[in-house]
Amino acid sequence: MMAATGTFTRNPKSFSHSRHAPPPPGLKIGPNGTPIVSTGIQDLDQLLGGGVPVGSLIMVMEDSEAPHHLLLLRNFMSQGVLHRQPLLYASPAHSPRAFLGTLPAPIPPRTHLHTPSQQQEEDLRIAWQYKKYFGNEQMFVESHRGNHWDFCNEFDLRKSLDRQLLGAAHIDCVNLQDVEDLASLRDRCSAFLAPFARTEEGITCVGRVAIQSFCSPQCRYSNSDWDMLFFIKSLRSMLRSSNAVAMITFTPSVVSSSSVCMRWQHLADTLLSLRTIPDDDKEMAKLLTDYQDMFGLLHIHKVGRLNSQVPVILEATTYSLKVIRRKTLVLERLNQAPVDASGGGSLGGCSGSSSARLLDF
Amino acid sequence: MADLVCRGLRDGVLEGEYAPALLIKDTLQISLGVHVFNHFLLSLSSNISSGKAQSRGLVVVAFACPPCFYVDLLRSRGIGVASLSNWIVDCYSDPLGWKDKLLNSGFSAQLSSKSHDKSSVGDVECLFRDVGDAEKLSSLVFDLGRGLVGPGKGRFSVAIDSASELLRHTSLLSVSSLINNLRSHDQVASLFWLLHSDLHEPRAILSLEYLSSMVAGLEPIASPSTDAQRNHHNHLFQLEQNSRRGKLHMRLKRRNGRVKILFEEFDVEQGGIKFVPVSLGNAIRNDAILPKVQFNLQLTDKERGDRAKVILPFEHQGNGEDIKIYDGRGPIADAPKNIFPTPRLDESASATITTSSNGGKGEIHYFRDSDEEALDTDEDPDDDLDI
Repeated sequence: MMAATGTFTRNPKSFSHSRHAPPPPGLKIGPNGTPIVSTGIQDLDQLLGGGVPVGSLIMVMEDSEAPHHLLLLRNFMSQGVLHRQPLLYASPAHSPRAFLGTLPAPIPPRTHLHTPSQQQEEDLRIAWQYKKYFGNEQMFVESHRGNHWDFCNEFDLRKSLDRQLLGAAHIDCVNLQDVEDLASLRDRCSAFLAPFARTEEGITCVGRVAIQSFCSPQCRYSNSDWDMLFFIKSLRSMLRSSNAVAMITFTPSVVSSSSVCMRWQHLADTLLSLRTIPDDDKEMAKLLTDYQDMFGLLHIHKVGRLNSQVPVILEATTYSLKVIRRKTLVLERLNQAPVDASGGGSLGGCSGSSSARLLDF
Repeated sequence: MADLVCRGLRDGVLEGEYAPALLIKDTLQISLGVHVFNHFLLSLSSNISSGKAQSRGLVVVAFACPPCFYVDLLRSRGIGVASLSNWIVDCYSDPLGWKDKLLNSGFSAQLSSKSHDKSSVGDVECLFRDVGDAEKLSSLVFDLGRGLVGPGKGRFSVAIDSASELLRHTSLLSVSSLINNLRSHDQVASLFWLLHSDLHEPRAILSLEYLSSMVAGLEPIASPSTDAQRNHHNHLFQLEQNSRRGKLHMRLKRRNGRVKILFEEFDVEQGGIKFVPVSLGNAIRNDAILPKVQFNLQLTDKERGDRAKVILPFEHQGNGEDIKIYDGRGPIADAPKNIFPTPRLDESASATITTSSNGGKGEIHYFRDSDEEALDTDEDPDDDLDI
């Protein structure tokens, strides 16, 4: 799967000589020379073009019937902790700190990962015009050698993150139920993002902001839609001028009007949505071959790109969420089993379904 | 499958998770929500009194029915109220404290006599006069619950008679935070409440559904007919039907992140309510989730039959019958009867063309040039050209 990048790509090497220090852990140069950080899920990183651009906002639309957004948040936050990136976490739960106890631990990386790719360069002589299809990872393997971190770790969802690591990490927790009005939350965010302001010297540290279920009905500000929109907009502008990324999850059904919901979606740089699937559904089990393993669907509406006018068009935008061996979260393309044509109208079914929920393959 | 819900309420909550919360919603069309609510109430109470449930007590917040109704209901099922495992918060008699204010302001004579008609089991009732304050209500519920099960690890369940009444008095925000606090409290095992969904904005319903882990929606069995002619009879019939029977559509959020969708029909009878599992058929339509994009070049029998029935715009239909020139006017007198077309029109058939004519009527006899050839040959007449 290859995102359309066009024939013009910036030569990333021209940016690296301007940095005096090696890039901080967790950061690498992505497409078009933008610095990117990982979401914590390898498949999602690949789909988004390597990672999330620094300074962008990821919006996740939850399904009100399923807690899949927590999986995305956990991986995102865990990755930040591992890369020693400060984190601001806001949640409507009673004790946000308790959620930190559920962050997954990384699976120890296999150390021989880097060497085969080098050998690949020698043994496999790839014609020059095809080298661009192998992505940027190979080109930057040399710069990562010697560092002990992986850009994106695989996480074991059964084990939780080391207490010491959590204790040493810089994590701020905010309880959204205590937030009286959003101006105070905004001040809190800007205070958190102040150390990450962009300067001429390059990036030394990247911050992460994670806001869970932003429009929960039990929060006091949940009635004031426009205040929430204004908060998101100001958060995004703060992100643009600092070296940080943010992930916000919200439930579209709870937002009061569809126009506010649309505006909310437009404010995102990267927009993902989650759908749950019915349990023990024989029809679906017939349609999808791996129905037993998956527990939800992820749809990618928009992939954020800073520094570029070229939009990202993915081959497929709907992926199934699976947990392999109860350990790692993976995203897979949907495999539909061949089905008998059911009496006409089979191909017309696509256009009939409501566009907000249309999945494609 | 209402058993599944009852079991969910009975089993209660695991450590570290939010308590299971059931939302029962009904509409004007099928307003039997009270019966379903009472059914779950009775099943949970009997589980509590027999010790099978995780919770050891039940607090009922009564808005729509007087407390004596619940006492009688429980007693009629043999669940002893005297075992003091129930508390009923009486928000029915005087929700806003008006009687109190009237008493104080001097209209005392008539009202004071009426205020004495409490039932004999006044010990399990607690009058609550300030429904507008959800925080006070929640602290009262917690106090009562703690009183029931004692301090420590004991848990209790909460049933809210009608969240619609609660939403009438307070805002959605207070109700949401009340439910959220109840769910996240250490000592609450499960809770359930009833809602009349056409009384509220969609946002309120969706918010409460978001907060609950099980949603049981009542639906009429037959959808209303749109034919205006027979409307009257059908309408009465449906009213009759919907006052006794209905369909329960349950959505249970499972721990693995999937949603279990169940349908059951229920029948309200004298003794209670009876649930009958219904065969789903096409009840769950996944069209909105997955489009049908399969490409299958094989035809089903139905499609083959349809194809055979198609009238070809040629003089022969390829099935050995008389040639009739079909020009699109009027119905066909002889519909083709064979499913599979016969391979060729041979000499004997062409002979019948001439002999089967009605005597005396003028007819056009058309003899095809290419009759001797087999039908549907791939021969290209242009092959004979020598260029």
